[in-house]
Amino acid sequence: MIVDINVNGEMRHLQARSGDRLVDVLRDRLSIASLLPDCLSGRCGRCFVFLDGRLVQSCLLPAFKAKGARVVTFEGIADSPEVAEIEEALRQAGALPCPFCRTAKIMAIVDLLERHPLPDEKAAMEQLDMVSCACTDPISLIKAIGLAADARSKRKFNRANK
Amino acid sequence: MRISEVYFPETIAETLELLRANPELQLVAGGTEIVGSQPTRSIALERQVASIVKIKELRKTVRTEQFLELGSCTTLTGLRTLASGTLPEPLYDVIGGIANHGVRNIATLGGNLCCKNRFMDLWPVLACLDAQIELRSAAGARWAGLSHLCGEDGSPSFPPATLMARIRIPLFSYNFIFVRSLGGNALPGPHTATFACMANLGRDKIEDFRLIFAGTKAFRLKEHEMAVDGRRRGMKGREMQSLVDYYTDAFSSQSWYDQRLFASLAQEAFERLCS
Ligand SMILES: Cc1cc2nc3c(=O)[nH]c(=O)nc-3n(C[C@H](O)[C@H](O)[C@H](O)COP(=O)(O)OP(=O)(O)OC[C@H]3O[C@@H](n4cnc5c(N)ncnc54)[C@H](O)[C@@H]3O)c2cc1C
Ligand code: FES
Ligand code: FES
Repeated sequence: MIVDINVNGEMRHLQARSGDRLVDVLRDRLSIASLLPDCLSGRCGRCFVFLDGRLVQSCLLPAFKAKGARVVTFEGIADSPEVAEIEEALRQAGALPCPFCRTAKIMAIVDLLERHPLPDEKAAMEQLDMVSCACTDPISLIKAIGLAADARSKRKFNRANK
Repeated sequence: MRISEVYFPETIAETLELLRANPELQLVAGGTEIVGSQPTRSIALERQVASIVKIKELRKTVRTEQFLELGSCTTLTGLRTLASGTLPEPLYDVIGGIANHGVRNIATLGGNLCCKNRFMDLWPVLACLDAQIELRSAAGARWAGLSHLCGEDGSPSFPPATLMARIRIPLFSYNFIFVRSLGGNALPGPHTATFACMANLGRDKIEDFRLIFAGTKAFRLKEHEMAVDGRRRGMKGREMQSLVDYYTDAFSSQSWYDQRLFASLAQEAFERLCS
């Protein structure tokens, strides 16, 4: 079947079988490199996409379910100020994710700050819980989230250079 | 890999027409239970599948003074937002404990209640709250309690060729609510279950007591609930322990879950109820 999906702002007509997962269709047909599916069961976050504005694990979606939807992958937001702020905050906090989970962590933080511009520790931990990683210490990640939230609100309210 | 025929009905009527033509049709709402339980690259689906999540009638919310009525395709994120400040706090917490935010953005309330091989976390809690469900099939529409989805032996028994359209959650609440989900937020398995116990604590009496434990099977005993109703709030020691034992003895005939875990939950629930 052909599934019409708007991917990163472009309409795509993707060939998919009924049992194909969205993550595989995006990787195989569009060579989207940020998707690194691992667990295939919604636990590692390495297949995150925004589906109609909501962060979801694309391994849990049969491709046909994305018919008519707007899908944004990491590539679609890579050049945004939000991602630049998060990357800078991760650097400052010394919480540098490995290439395997980097995009998953950034996508999770983008989503978190969208919903909670000033997230408390509980909300931050809950969000990070979606990306399996036993190697970065959560305290530095929480610190990075705080720094990114700060930078975001400074930019949003034009306080950047004050 | 079997290639399935996928349908995209836009109304309940179209879904019922598909179900009439093919009673084996597999309904996919969020798809998280169907897909999440399959470790293989390719997902196995039935021969005919209908994606129902875009049906507008199944996403509607109605709120009156008495109840909150939700379309079955309301996502768990949507339900959590609606529940905040409306539904009892423990229910809000149970929803927040299901899976993770990404999964809850896709998973639906209907999918949580209609699972065919076990009871998911919301079933026992909503059953305690006397939620009603609207079931639609070629035979028509009817409202029923959630116990309707439970067979005589306690196993799930979802009626064939049926669509759950709406869920009505009464807004009156219990002033004693004790809920524990065992097994964390992982995909439910044979060792996960949810324990829910609710009651109204009057000035000196316990009323409307209910206790449901559900996992691969469900456990609820009406005569035991009646035995608790009307007891003094401040009962202590032996009287309380005899009720705990009454429950744990009955549970000892159940082989689907660790009896010690059930016993310790029942003990904690009764201790809190009587404290
Ligand atoms: C990582 C992970 C963790 C999870 N953790 C939890 C957890 O902690 N607690 C928990 O309770 N669940 C958990 N789940 C299971 C599942 O995601 C949820 O129970 C979810 O609510 C199912 O909803 P869905 O819309 O995705 O269902 P689907 O997968 O679409 O459907 C589930 C079943 O219900 C049927 N169905 C769906 N909607 C209808 C309808 N309207 N009428 C008739 N039949 C219908 C389907 O045919 C199917 O048999 C988890 C899943 C994953 C992947
Ligand atoms: S591959 Fe999708 S969450 Fe792990
Ligand atoms: S830093 Fe990448 S998995 Fe831990």
